[in-house]
Amino acid sequence: MEVKLQVENEILDKIKHTFHSAEVSIPRKQRVEVKLRNDLIHPFLAYLKDTLGFKHLSHISTVDWLEENEIELVYIVMNYDNLVEVIAKIRLDREKPEIPTLREFWPQIETYEREIHEMYGVNFLGHGNLTDFILEDWEGIPPMRRDFDTVKYAKETYFNRPGREDAQDVRTTITKKSGEEIPELAKVYSVRHLE
Amino acid sequence: MEVSYDKESRKIVQAIERFARKHSLWVLAYGTGCGAIEVPPTMTSRYDAERFGIRGAATPRQADVLLITGYLSVKTLKRVIRTYEQMQDPKYVIGFGSCTINGGMYWDSYNTIKLLDMYIPVDVYINGCMPRPEAVISGFIELQKVIAEGKAEGARKYKENLDWYRANQQKIIHNWNMPDYNW
Repeated sequence: MEVKLQVENEILDKIKHTFHSAEVSIPRKQRVEVKLRNDLIHPFLAYLKDTLGFKHLSHISTVDWLEENEIELVYIVMNYDNLVEVIAKIRLDREKPEIPTLREFWPQIETYEREIHEMYGVNFLGHGNLTDFILEDWEGIPPMRRDFDTVKYAKETYFNRPGREDAQDVRTTITKKSGEEIPELAKVYSVRHLE
Repeated sequence: MEVSYDKESRKIVQAIERFARKHSLWVLAYGTGCGAIEVPPTMTSRYDAERFGIRGAATPRQADVLLITGYLSVKTLKRVIRTYEQMQDPKYVIGFGSCTINGGMYWDSYNTIKLLDMYIPVDVYINGCMPRPEAVISGFIELQKVIAEGKAEGARKYKENLDWYRANQQKIIHNWNMPDYNW
């Protein structure tokens, strides 16, 4: 059955008409996905908020594209009248990610931007309050970047309880002690330790 | 005024002291991590921890027991150390849940400590993720036993090995801008 996407198509047409360089698609009902040029995110969100009625900022998300040396910011805004969500994506340079803040549109965006600054190292120009948020005195690369080795860092920085490193499987240890064999059914769960 | 006892009467006085201490454990109302959710049922009518003399205290200076309920991030650890140092003798620490023992499910996290007893002295551990109120009460009874035997020496250990604890604490807390409390 063909799904009617009348509202979504109307929004798609309006966006395409206004922003020629934007790549617009409709992944599913009530979703419109837009890929934008970096410098267009301000006018684009202003257009959505003031003209098309997307008054609600749901979220900003971040994706680290390590292989392409880019960081993607995903802005999700919603319209209360037709419940459509527009997902606007921009890509920043991974070495020096900078984008002007959007505080003047939604004051609550400050918190998201602070967190992204701390976890991914994105610099929001004109934000004014990019201080320590959840992490205190963090040194080195931001922890949510993909080239940050979490396990290595945790092992180096914090103390380990002795006996934890070998990560013994309880099932294997008990069967060794008692001299029994692991049933076929349970072997699936112990493969890593049997190797 | 310093009162000096002979050995026998000192023993009797100590026994009375310990008896009094073990039956009035005031717990600081401070929750870290997810374990704090198990404390209200422990305190309220169903499990009624007040039967054992366990009650809540509002400020660190009034409290006897610091209950570390779950994982500690570096940011929280700083506050916990400050809270612990403000508490007055006698003071005891209970590590609550597997996160305080060996990191639990946060063993590979970039921002939570794994061994609580490297940073502050712990008198009793309660294992489990999360421990049920029964386990919490059993842990408190264990603490009462330890106090009655005179083995709850965490605060004294902390004072004697302060340099060692400070070195461990400052290994992860780089910006040490806390006051030094003189007990």
